[in-house]
Amino acid sequence: MLKPFVVFLGFKANPLEGSMLHRLALVIAIVAAAAAAPAGAQEKPRYGGELVFAVPSEPPSYDAHREETFGVIHPMAPHYNTLLRPDPTDKTASRIVGDLAESWTISKDGRVYTLKLHRGVKFHDGSELTSRDVKASYDKIIFPPAGVASDRKGEYVDVEAVQAPDPYTVVFRLKWPSGSFLMSLASPWNWIYKADILAKDMRWYETHVMGTGPFVFVEHVKGSHWVGKKNPNYWDKGKPYLDGYRAIFIKDSAAQVSAVRGERAYIQFRGFAPAERDSLVAALGPKLTVQESPWNCVILVALNHEKKPFDDKRVRRALTLAIDRYQGAQALSRIAIVKEPAGVQVPGMPFATPPAELEKLAGYGRDIAKARAEARRLLREAGVPDGFSFTYKNRGVPMPYEPLGVWLIDQWRQIGLNVRQEVIEAAKYYAELRGGNFEVAADFQCGYIVEPDLDLYKFQSKDKSPANYSRYVDPTLDELYEKQSRAVDPEERKRYIREFERRLLDEEVHYIYTLQWHRIIPHLARVRGWTITPSHYLNQQLDAVWLTE
Amino acid sequence: MGKYILKRLLLMIPTLLGVAVIIFFLMRVVPGDIVELRFAGESSFASKENLDKERVRLGLDQPLWRQFLAWITGIVRLDFGKSMWTGAPILEEIRLRFALSLQLAIMATLIAVLLAIPLGVIAALKQDTWVDYVVRIVSIAGLATPSFWLGIVFILGLLIVFKWLPPMVYTPLWVDPWQNLLQLIWPALAVGYRYSAVATRMTRSAMLEVLREDYIRTARAKGLWEKLILSRHALKNAMLPVLTVIALEFAFLMGGLVVTEQVFNLNGLGLLFVEAVAHRDYTLTQALVMLVAFVFIFVNFLVDLAYAWIDPRIRFR
Repeated sequence: MLKPFVVFLGFKANPLEGSMLHRLALVIAIVAAAAAAPAGAQEKPRYGGELVFAVPSEPPSYDAHREETFGVIHPMAPHYNTLLRPDPTDKTASRIVGDLAESWTISKDGRVYTLKLHRGVKFHDGSELTSRDVKASYDKIIFPPAGVASDRKGEYVDVEAVQAPDPYTVVFRLKWPSGSFLMSLASPWNWIYKADILAKDMRWYETHVMGTGPFVFVEHVKGSHWVGKKNPNYWDKGKPYLDGYRAIFIKDSAAQVSAVRGERAYIQFRGFAPAERDSLVAALGPKLTVQESPWNCVILVALNHEKKPFDDKRVRRALTLAIDRYQGAQALSRIAIVKEPAGVQVPGMPFATPPAELEKLAGYGRDIAKARAEARRLLREAGVPDGFSFTYKNRGVPMPYEPLGVWLIDQWRQIGLNVRQEVIEAAKYYAELRGGNFEVAADFQCGYIVEPDLDLYKFQSKDKSPANYSRYVDPTLDELYEKQSRAVDPEERKRYIREFERRLLDEEVHYIYTLQWHRIIPHLARVRGWTITPSHYLNQQLDAVWLTE
Repeated sequence: MGKYILKRLLLMIPTLLGVAVIIFFLMRVVPGDIVELRFAGESSFASKENLDKERVRLGLDQPLWRQFLAWITGIVRLDFGKSMWTGAPILEEIRLRFALSLQLAIMATLIAVLLAIPLGVIAALKQDTWVDYVVRIVSIAGLATPSFWLGIVFILGLLIVFKWLPPMVYTPLWVDPWQNLLQLIWPALAVGYRYSAVATRMTRSAMLEVLREDYIRTARAKGLWEKLILSRHALKNAMLPVLTVIALEFAFLMGGLVVTEQVFNLNGLGLLFVEAVAHRDYTLTQALVMLVAFVFIFVNFLVDLAYAWIDPRIRFR
């Protein structure tokens, strides 16, 4: 039985917002949701019903091994299984449990991972899943044949070979020990496909659906909806609880809010803005449950080291010192999907720097007057005592780029910098970033799982990381990345991550972290068995979800 | 008449060819790249090697003239290729949305015509009376009100008053007419109102002009029945400019209702168009532009035929 996670954050920080009636509705919803949580935890899941949910994006192709958007995961993940997965009841998504793997062992030298598969797992065509299918799927991801692109190949550079010694055992041999490998096997993208199909056509899964998951594919009407129905032969006996699900593609956020408000959709799994949450709470009251969590996404500021004066680390340091993250967090969390000042890991997660320690980094101190005085001193020292002008290139996505951009510009003006904002349409934005055609730009990091290897990869030197848009070379940082990646002892790994963070954000200020995104999921209270996590890519198998009515 | 029709049909070819050339090269000039957008977007791991592989797969590594030639020869064979974003055949992508957009355009046109022509005629006949003022206020309000805004008002009104929202998934008319109507009547009303405002204004002014013509005065002097004068002599002649406005608006609705489609979550051509451009899906954008251009040209052709039918002077010229 999954325990619903119901929290309401941010209302206390916002006591003056909204009318008395509005606040009363919020309080009623909080009380009702809080009362519903333990009840939900004790209730026996009910079988039946169709879950209807809104998806703000749509799958370009059906192959998760090659796609990047959650628009693939939300409607399609219920058709598949992965080897491992984050515990669906764990709101931090940091505890790994088996999905197709029932158990696993790691060799003493940390280089051999042996996983035992569940027996009797059937594909939707009735054939049995064996380790051969797992090997074929991982070979496609890690060692793609010529002509097949695999974006995730880079995540598995440590894998030497994938072996299937018997039908129910899979072995991963690594080139070196890895602190993150287990988490990599829980990637929500690594669906297990059928080996025979891949052998015939490596691209078959781009246009077809056939997995082992709790729901069988029914139909996809492009631009409209996706339907799945219960897999009666699902290997995890007793699941799923739902008869089926219907994912409706709704791109416009106002239409998504209307859909939930009008009960045409029960939930939208990506997230809503604070104002949207408040309007739903006010309209639906106790019929609504709100789940909130820090979100594994953050807007970064890329400082182009190839453009003057951003090649000078004193200037870069001045830019981060000018930012009052705590005041910004308080103000922006009322209007945007951001909340806490962020280090390189999601606050509250196992490898995250505790707030007291984070405050020691440049720009994270509580005394903003002192920090800005220091910023001005650094600018004087760097030969720009009167400040200078530059353009901040922002991504043309309103939430949360626009409010955050306006806020950053205001912060930099406090130390005498004259900043002009240029908002760039998404398609052009990537070309500008990758081409280095900017001085300072909004960049972002959005991870599908909270794992330092994934979260820190982009900050390696530009010759190692194609997404290093600040365009620097820092062998020390590269070395620290490698050390943390290969450290199997969590405490040792934590130390390297702290060092990495200090170098990235304080000593060199290669990048500026802003505020951690905050995920807000208001959903109809009738939806049970789903727990929010810091990633909108996780927990979408829907095997444990059920409806009260 | 046959020669006239043939001439008009042949004239469509250079027009469509011109559109094809412009849209093909315009898309290549616009900054941005589908491959970067799709694979480098949220991934830290997208290597240049992978991006290049994808460009080769999509044929984007080929010289522009070769890409153009391949595309244009495809069009001649009525093969528009596949969407670069989804990999699905373009005709399939369009077919799915075409039925909805066409139905919405027809419904909005019907609403507009049913409102505009009687109101325009009445306003002209009762010029400068309170009736005329009311019609003018209603039509000017229609012109000033964006249809998407009216759509939002409809949705909020339905949600607040009836706690009900129109269905968000399209059901074809032949599958379930009631569900279909429940979804499409609201956007049709929102769009039809603005559309009717344009047509009402045009009908009123055209009627006023025609009613002052000598042949109307002659008909009245001959003692013809007033209803006959209005329907046979005045309205028929006043319809020429009105027909043009209605036809152009109809063509615009086939692909131009982006925001209204967003508000009502309609799976129509307008949204597909915007997404295709946003994704830099060259093949799909080009096909959609060609489709809309064809609709405009074809509707204009029909209007010209109607002109010739209504006004014998054009036919005989």
